[in-house]
Amino acid sequence: MDIIKVEHLCKEFSYYKKETGLQGSLKNLFHREILTKEAVRNVSFAVEKGEIVGLLGPNGAGKTTTLKMLSGILFPTSGNAVIDGFIPWERKNEFKRRFSIVMGQKNQLWWDLPASDSFYLNKCIYDIDDAAYRKTVEELSELLDVRELMNVQVRRLSLGERMKMEILAALIHRPQILFLDELTIGLDIISQQKIRDFLQYYNEQTKTTVILTSHYMRDIEALCRRAVIISHGQLVYDGELSKINHLMGDKKLLTLKGIGEIPAEKLAAFGRVREKKGAETVLEVPKDKLRETASAILSTLHVEDFTVTEVPLEESIALIFKKEVDSL
Amino acid sequence: MKPYRCVFRMGIEKSLEYRADFFLSLFSAVFPIIIQTFLWNYLYGNEDAAALFGYTYNEILIYTLLAGLVSKLVQTGLEYQVNEDIKLGGLNKYLVSPVSYGRYQLFSFLGEKAPQLVIMGAVAAGMIAFSVAVLGLELSPMRVLIFIVSLVLALLLNFFIFYSVALLSFWLTDVNLMFGTVSIVLVVVSGGVFPLDIFGEKLELLVNLLPFGYTTQFSVNIINGRFGWTQIGSGFLCQLFWIGFFGILARCMWKRGLKRFTAVGG
Repeated sequence: MDIIKVEHLCKEFSYYKKETGLQGSLKNLFHREILTKEAVRNVSFAVEKGEIVGLLGPNGAGKTTTLKMLSGILFPTSGNAVIDGFIPWERKNEFKRRFSIVMGQKNQLWWDLPASDSFYLNKCIYDIDDAAYRKTVEELSELLDVRELMNVQVRRLSLGERMKMEILAALIHRPQILFLDELTIGLDIISQQKIRDFLQYYNEQTKTTVILTSHYMRDIEALCRRAVIISHGQLVYDGELSKINHLMGDKKLLTLKGIGEIPAEKLAAFGRVREKKGAETVLEVPKDKLRETASAILSTLHVEDFTVTEVPLEESIALIFKKEVDSL
Repeated sequence: MKPYRCVFRMGIEKSLEYRADFFLSLFSAVFPIIIQTFLWNYLYGNEDAAALFGYTYNEILIYTLLAGLVSKLVQTGLEYQVNEDIKLGGLNKYLVSPVSYGRYQLFSFLGEKAPQLVIMGAVAAGMIAFSVAVLGLELSPMRVLIFIVSLVLALLLNFFIFYSVALLSFWLTDVNLMFGTVSIVLVVVSGGVFPLDIFGEKLELLVNLLPFGYTTQFSVNIINGRFGWTQIGSGFLCQLFWIGFFGILARCMWKRGLKRFTAVGG
């Protein structure tokens, strides 16, 4: 069953430009040329209950704008969205109790007080009974490994610790839908990993529906089976993550290490040479020709080491972004 | 616990978190009072000053002391927070949760104010005792009680005035400088520096018609005995009227501003 249904969503912003320097500023004092930007253009997709969907796209693609419309912060210029039976921008309290949004670059906790105070405030705001509140905080603080930090002022926490607290605060009312915008931005690898593991576990346990945006492919690969890709405000891909490589021409990478250096022209006969560093070479080979190419290489060249890998997802996605730009 | 009670409590905790700031802000209230005392000393060196201003030297000192105190008590500061929320998108977190932003700000403001009120209350009691003992102020318990009621209303009125001003941020992106100007002008036109009736009856009438006097001068005129009971009664009516007026104004501004905010982005 679809819990989120988005149809032909559009959002236009008006803004004005300023030329460099004082002259531009003075000119703007008297006359501002109003320009329009289409941040989101005709985006449609649906999300099933319990799904984790990755919303991908380069900076300025319209990801955050889309999430803001879905959480009712922004009115769309046109189009529809229904979330669990509610229209987000009507901002009904009943709807607000069903979801949470966490933004990696925004702070929702009281800066000067310990996070536990903000948790308690959320308990009051969402009218959660004592037992359920205690259970949630105990369980989640254990999972996120922040139990010792509950009584430390938020301003004294590290970025990673604060992010965990932000997540905890957003889950106090046990929302059915979670929007996560650039959650792991600026975090170290271990913190990223911890948050990823937590989200995965939490989603499995509670079947919470999640839409998340991130620029770290590791986040996306670990958490999402499905990706919705937007570029320049338009939807360019909606489907399984694993099929993206297929879409981009189904290639595999052969990394081989020769005994001594193998000349480039010899290698080029087997596939496109992507990279060559001394004895080590990365070849790009069509997937359906992998077996024959590999055996040909092994029988004709002196190879010491040999590995087959997928084309990194980043690259395929970057290609999708770029393709979209070229077709414009 | 109800949400706004919780916000109120957190406001108290927040203001207790910064002790130094708290005491410095109290200390800063003393300087204007000292400067004004010198000024009045100089002005009252002139023989007919009392006749000219309509206040005796002692009366004007009592006024200065009490007005300095009252204007400190009703002082806000939430306008900067509101401006930042609107400008940088901090407003989003309130929009997605089932709370009213205005009420949230009000209770957080009252909470932050509460510890200050307790200490200031003690200081005020001291000043009033000093005025009674040294400067010859006459006081009845009834007046003290009414004074306190008027202070609470003055605090609310000032909140709504500044909240309305703060909501201008929906239309003007950066209004921090304006806030500084507005708060200085308002302290003067509310009678926080000197009594406005020294400029004659016409200005006094204007002060009575405008809302600002009801944030400071009105309360002071209750405690210093300058107002009779009828004046106090009509003063309260005006105070309540202006609270309602700015409350409704803020509500309308919020509605229109929010439409703009959600249309334009945050």
